Amino acid sequence: MSSPEPYSYRRILRRETHSPRSALAIALAVALIALCAYLGAEIILMMLNHRALLAAPEDMLTALGNLGTAPIAAPLITGIVLALIGLLLLIAALTPGRRARHQLPSERAGIVVDDEVVASALARRAAYAANANPDNTVATVSRSRAVVRITPTSGVPVQHDAVSAAVQEELAGFELTPPVRSVVELAPRGRVGE
Amino acid sequence: MNNTNRGLNRTLIAVIGLLALVAGAGLIVVATDAAARGAFRKTGPAAAHHVASWLRSTPFSTANADASWEWILVLSVLVLIVVLLLVFIFRQGHGHDETLLREDTSDAGATIVDTRLAEQAIRADLEGVPEILASSVTSYRVRKTVVLKVSATCRRGASPRQVAHVIEQSLTALDDLLGYRAPALIQLSGGFRARLSNARRAR
Repeated sequence: MSSPEPYSYRRILRRETHSPRSALAIALAVALIALCAYLGAEIILMMLNHRALLAAPEDMLTALGNLGTAPIAAPLITGIVLALIGLLLLIAALTPGRRARHQLPSERAGIVVDDEVVASALARRAAYAANANPDNTVATVSRSRAVVRITPTSGVPVQHDAVSAAVQEELAGFELTPPVRSVVELAPRGRVGE
Repeated sequence: MNNTNRGLNRTLIAVIGLLALVAGAGLIVVATDAAARGAFRKTGPAAAHHVASWLRSTPFSTANADASWEWILVLSVLVLIVVLLLVFIFRQGHGHDETLLREDTSDAGATIVDTRLAEQAIRADLEGVPEILASSVTSYRVRKTVVLKVSATCRRGASPRQVAHVIEQSLTALDDLLGYRAPALIQLSGGFRARLSNARRAR
């Protein structure tokens, strides 16, 4: 069979499990374009001898030069806001930006699963093992931990160990990357069933 | 899967972040630190005046002393920045491809397999699967290879392992049909529709 093999899914899988930061980058670009358009408009108005929209470019320059004598409140607040925005942007640029997804092993393809799907499968398995109502079973999956919270149906005994083992087995069957550990929490008081 | 330049995205964010941080820190220092404030008081107005007079050094209009070539230069730099940013914005995404496979089978011509063939074959195959609420197949060119992307919305409670297995089987069937094994990415998601759908009883 002709094929571009062996095909390495590493790059694709990495891209699918990390944020491209596109939304933020586009928002910044739009903001910068707006700023440039405003400055350009002020310059053209000045050259045509029209009144400025907010401040003529040369007045801005003079105001900037006079910061040393200006009252401190406005520049201080502007400075703090700017520095904070800058810090947040730097953090966004340098952190990996992981998406809530895991990989599954496969011979044929690269597979990514939303954590939500894993959680819903674990919740169903746990509800089945605990004889509880699926609507009273909540699961959350993070990068390396899955927590299943069950509110048992009143009068139906639940064996924590059995449920735990069932969830563990289901999770082990998924073979997620990165690996996930599971925790089952039983609510101390049951709820009257349907 | 698309060919968004992620490094460029992050570089833009980092550069703007750094500029904002430096400008903000500068403002804070000038506003609060007495020594910096004094120094700025001494040099600031002169520097501003210096720049202003440079901007006015070659006027081209006798009617208005502000209309000088330097301002035109500043304007063109602003236009250049805007154009570059627009190119940056419209370069996001992209990477879809129409041709899955092209083989020059004989001297008379070539055989071209459209990606839509794969897309429709897989979608048709997945239509009746109870665990899958919706599916879509698209194809992208990733580093010169066309890669199929199969996205499936899973029913609430469906085992991702099982759904993945079903889709893998569809892909293998397609491989046999085409005699070609296209690299593929399977993406399993939940989402709003899945939350509203009922869990199916095990049979």
